[in-house]
Amino acid sequence: MSPSDHLPACQKNNTAEMALTPLSRNALKVMLRQVSKHQQIAAASSLSKIGNREVVGFGLNGDASYIDRVDFPMPAIRFKENNPDIQALREKEKGDWGKLTLEEKKALYRASFCQTFSEMKAPTGEWKSIMGITLMGASFAVWIYLWMKLFVYSPLPDTLTEEKMQAQLKRMIDLRANPIEGYSAQWDYEKGDWK
Amino acid sequence: MFRSALSRVSHAAKTSIMQTSYRVPAVTVTRGMSKHSTETDAELDARYESYFSRADIDGWEIRKAMNDLCGMDLVPEPKIIIAALKACRRLNDYALAVRFLEAVKDKCGVKQKEIYPYILQEIGATLQELSIDTPEVMGYDKPELALASIYE
Repeated sequence: MSPSDHLPACQKNNTAEMALTPLSRNALKVMLRQVSKHQQIAAASSLSKIGNREVVGFGLNGDASYIDRVDFPMPAIRFKENNPDIQALREKEKGDWGKLTLEEKKALYRASFCQTFSEMKAPTGEWKSIMGITLMGASFAVWIYLWMKLFVYSPLPDTLTEEKMQAQLKRMIDLRANPIEGYSAQWDYEKGDWK
Repeated sequence: MFRSALSRVSHAAKTSIMQTSYRVPAVTVTRGMSKHSTETDAELDARYESYFSRADIDGWEIRKAMNDLCGMDLVPEPKIIIAALKACRRLNDYALAVRFLEAVKDKCGVKQKEIYPYILQEIGATLQELSIDTPEVMGYDKPELALASIYE
């Protein structure tokens, strides 16, 4: 039986035009088989990791995974695996909740969820180490600068001494440099002083 | 297999394009773009209250609705919370009830001091009736346990 025998008659004409060589047909078959195998493995993986935890909802994205989020507080699975203690507690939970002790209520909560809201939102203190390491990095940069100053850079040119800069200024004023908005505009040439 | 799939797709595409061009009269064409909701606040409250009040609600649905409520820019009305707590009771899930109360408290945001006492006062009778402890009674208003490091 050829592969196109099971198709309706109307589709045979179409498929005949796009016939593949037997070789590429086989290659395609092998590829499709591999793809579907990978898909099966991927589909099984999230479930294979949760042990016998109960899947109780859709969760964040349909994955059977647990995550504590304040904006999405009900994850897809319970936090703890089922064990006889919890099973017994769940049987008791079916009765009057007034008969549960505080300890049992807490055990039930912790079986379903890992962290309470206040624990999720509790400050971790991580900012301290971030701040400390950042400042250490910044001060290290200062040390590099000082080291460069000592061992790498040549001394500043002598044109940066006070007297040479004064002389430079005097010369600019004498040349009437930048007379509209610059130094010369501030200089009163009649008085021979700043305006 | 690939061939037949391709030919089916092209056939389906062709027929659907041909048909729609004949089928859709201009008058009935509406722009299906705007997502503005015309639902009023009261309608939303009623919708969620009746959703939680359904007798055959299951664990999937109740979590879905609770997560949705947490994603909205609102604090659920006490009547929604009461319906949700009763649904938790029907599903025999105590932890879920406390978790939802925590979520509601968190939704109060910066106005927690104003809104949360009001909610507690409104749902107090239900809490009594179902013997649900508030997060404060459970000691969950402050961090109780630290997470164990996964690196040790």
